[in-house]
Amino acid sequence: MDLTFFVQQLFNALQLGSLYALIALGYTMVYGVLLLINFAHGDIFMVGAFLGVFASMVLGLPFVAALIVSMLLTGLLGVTIERVAYKPLRHASRLSVVITALGVGLLLENGMLALTGADPRSYPEGFINTTSFSIAGVNLTSVKIIIIVLAFVLFFGLYAIVQRTKWGMAMRAISYDKFAVPLMGVSQNQIISLTFLLGASLAAAGGILWGTAFPVLSPYMGLRVGWKAFIAAVVGGIGDIRGAMLGGLLLGFIEIYTVAYGKDIGITSTWRDPIVFGLLLIILVVRPTGLFGVARRQKV
Amino acid sequence: MLLSVRDLHVSYGNIHAVHGVSFEVEEGEIVTLIGANGAGKSTILNTVAGLQAPDSGAIEFKGASIAGRSAHDVVKLGLALVPEGRRIFGNLTVYENLRLAGFQLDAAELSRRIERVYGYFPRLQERRGQLGDTLSGGEQQMLAVGRALVTGGNCMLLDEPSMGLAPLLVQQIFEILAEINREGVTILLVEQNAHMALKLANRGYVLETGNIVLAGASRELAQSPDVQRAYLGG
Ligand SMILES: Nc1ncnc2c1ncn2[C@@H]1O[C@H](COP(=O)(O)OP(=O)(O)OP(=O)(O)O)[C@@H](O)[C@H]1O
Ligand SMILES: [Mg+2]
Repeated sequence: MDLTFFVQQLFNALQLGSLYALIALGYTMVYGVLLLINFAHGDIFMVGAFLGVFASMVLGLPFVAALIVSMLLTGLLGVTIERVAYKPLRHASRLSVVITALGVGLLLENGMLALTGADPRSYPEGFINTTSFSIAGVNLTSVKIIIIVLAFVLFFGLYAIVQRTKWGMAMRAISYDKFAVPLMGVSQNQIISLTFLLGASLAAAGGILWGTAFPVLSPYMGLRVGWKAFIAAVVGGIGDIRGAMLGGLLLGFIEIYTVAYGKDIGITSTWRDPIVFGLLLIILVVRPTGLFGVARRQKV
Repeated sequence: MLLSVRDLHVSYGNIHAVHGVSFEVEEGEIVTLIGANGAGKSTILNTVAGLQAPDSGAIEFKGASIAGRSAHDVVKLGLALVPEGRRIFGNLTVYENLRLAGFQLDAAELSRRIERVYGYFPRLQERRGQLGDTLSGGEQQMLAVGRALVTGGNCMLLDEPSMGLAPLLVQQIFEILAEINREGVTILLVEQNAHMALKLANRGYVLETGNIVLAGASRELAQSPDVQRAYLGG
């Protein structure tokens, strides 16, 4: 086996997997706190990518500033969506919530389409440092390294918030038992808003990084990526942020290596998605609660 | 009057669970509300604590109306509920459960109050790193009372703290409740275990299917033939 080629693919897999992971975290956090699958989350990722474009093209901001602005604005969008669309349905049936989430997604897609037109967008030249270099025959780009490092930094930042701060404790407490949280003097709504803020801003970071790695943005870019990240969250064990990270990375690895080595045995890249989803289904059959999931306590 | 409830009505959909209940708790007292399964005890406590909205009636705490206020606001006024079934966060450690109860506090006040809880319940200090799920029933009840203490209430409502515990443990917990009361916390105790509750409390109310049917000093209630027959196995 060609080791250089293998290592080369390792970085591709880490890049793609990190991006899935950043999006998967939002699905898993919202599910953990509200038992709700936010089907608009992929489109929130798309909005984050576009806000990054606007911040750089219109405001002329450099990468880091555009990233921060987009994360903040997209985070607020996430909070607003919850307040306006989901909160009134907190006691409604699951089905009406799912339909509402899909509707919010369509609204975001078509709103963005109306706003930007059908022409694909991309980040301006020089938005991010794109140096290529080669170490021991492995070709790398600075973009790839930035994406991988930033995704891990954001993940560990989130993990520290969830594990170490009182806000994180409140998020974990809600996911265990909503009933008792207000008795601790903690407002449930505040914690839910915080969850959406964090999840949506991580998706925005994912969107901008996605746009620098695969530089064509469209209002529909969130659909396929969103589904994959959702599946990554489920495979990791939905509700657990370590699971989302691991699931995202796993998905990236399976995809990249299927394509990289599949062609040697006659599997063309069009088979990538069926194979990926097939493998993930197998994981779920073996471990229905996902890699990190524990069977949820039945709640009364 | 620290807490006063007048003509409280509460329903679940079209199930009318509490039919015009009135009672009062004075500062420094231990008052008990006893009644059989389904009498409406938990409904009353949950409504007072703000977890549930009343249909009608007045609830006053420290002279201010709290009927219909949200639970996290009521807690901040100094009224803490130890809910039925303890409701410990099983995925959080003992310390994290207490830490969360002190959400509103600064670091110094938080550690002062947690130390106070460890003073009452040294067992919790030994187990502070242990997950709530892995505690015994008695330890969970201690933690539930501990959390209420950390929220800093000077009025504590307890919903069947004796549930599922061995008599010796119940006695221990009741002794600590008496001590907490001596240090200035007013207590409203809901119990099916009428014997223990009447021994601890100054006064009591007897609740039947959403109505208060008897009220009086604990000693009188304990000797009342009705109470003896229905609740004391006499
Ligand atoms: N969530 C609910 N939905 C519908 N009815 C309820 C609900 N909770 C309680 N009830 C009804 O309200 C009445 C009072 O219940 P409550 O739980 O207050 O009784 P309780 O005195 O606390 O009983 P226990 O000693 O068993 O805890 C009961 O008839 C019960 O069936
Ligand atoms: Mg009850």
